[in-house]
Amino acid sequence: MILLLRNRSAALLKLTLVGAAFMGTSLLPVNAFADDQEVIDYREHVMKTMGEQVAAMNQMRQAKIAPENLAVHAEILAVTAATAKNAFTPRVVGGKAKAEVWANWQDFSKRLNELVAATADLAKTAKQGGLAAAAPKMESALTCKGCHDVYREEKK
Amino acid sequence: MMRATRAAAFGAAAIMLMPAAGHADGKETIEYRQHIMKTLNEQSAALGQILSTTIPGDNTAAHLEAIALAASLALKAFEAKAPGGEAKPEVWSNWADFSKRMNDFSRKTAEMAKISREQGTDAALANVVDALSCKGCHDVYRAEKK
Ligand code: HEC
Ligand code: HEC
Repeated sequence: MILLLRNRSAALLKLTLVGAAFMGTSLLPVNAFADDQEVIDYREHVMKTMGEQVAAMNQMRQAKIAPENLAVHAEILAVTAATAKNAFTPRVVGGKAKAEVWANWQDFSKRLNELVAATADLAKTAKQGGLAAAAPKMESALTCKGCHDVYREEKK
Repeated sequence: MMRATRAAAFGAAAIMLMPAAGHADGKETIEYRQHIMKTLNEQSAALGQILSTTIPGDNTAAHLEAIALAASLALKAFEAKAPGGEAKPEVWSNWADFSKRMNDFSRKTAEMAKISREQGTDAALANVVDALSCKGCHDVYRAEKK
């Protein structure tokens, strides 16, 4: 793993040491060996992936990049959106996440569910009708800002 | 007015200079391929956390899918010859080798995602180190800026 993961060169070592010690110990709660920073990093990997994909899609919407692969970007976005809920399930305040994520979990997770549904629909639309069909839906499907305004802290 | 005219003239000149591969200017082309690379990076890092067992593996299949999809876009993103960013000129002067590496990368990550769908993530991850040939390519074709 060292070869592929910058900043994660300890991955294999941890796999053998920590993994051997803890894996399969059924008494542990799901996240017993996820330390808090790892949990924060993980959900940020999910969010940053969506950020990169939306940026690529916007380049296409603005006619700066040829849009022939828009549907693939939309699919990556949809696949990734579906991983977000697991990533936020451990209650770890920190990073840029406000405590309200967990205090208002019902609302927060409802918003994530809506993002999953809207991005899946967008991916389907892009696949069938390309940019022309998908562009009008992008604004409403990408509910990113609505959630960030409420649940994300802006740090520089 | 003057400025608008000059901008229009510049635009027309830029169009004439455009590479065959598309209507993207160099900066946009570079940013675009970097969005793909950064996606690969975030997804590989997430997968690495799962492999190191610091994060539960519920999303493993999705990460493998996202990596394969992003990998499938990468070659196309480099087709327009736009030196810059962290890409070395060798990307284009050794295009046959570069594109072979990228095609191998895409094929192997697609295979991994397929195995994941058909036989489960454990079987798929058996090939993860071989499939994620990121560093091998970067060593030759990427000039990493600190
Ligand atoms: C349901 C709420 C919600 C939705 C919807 C949502 N996000 Fe986020 N996002 C968050 C929260 C909370 C954080 C802060 C996470 C942290 O730092 O721990 C965040 C962080 C981010 C970050 C910063 C990551 C970093 O560490 O720099 C980016 C980029 C981002 N989101 C992009 C997106 C994009 C693009 C979309 C839409 C496709 C999106 N988000 C949809 C809640 C959401
Ligand atoms: C066949 C070659 C090749 C493969 C395979 C490859 N890359 Fe890259 N990568 C490049 C090149 C070339 C650049 C420089 C692009 C630029 O800046 O224009 C780059 C840039 C990057 C960057 C820097 C992007 C930025 O702007 O900050 C990251 C991060 C990255 N790659 C991650 C990965 C990961 C992770 C993988 C494997 C899962 C991978 N790459 C596979 C060739 C490759």
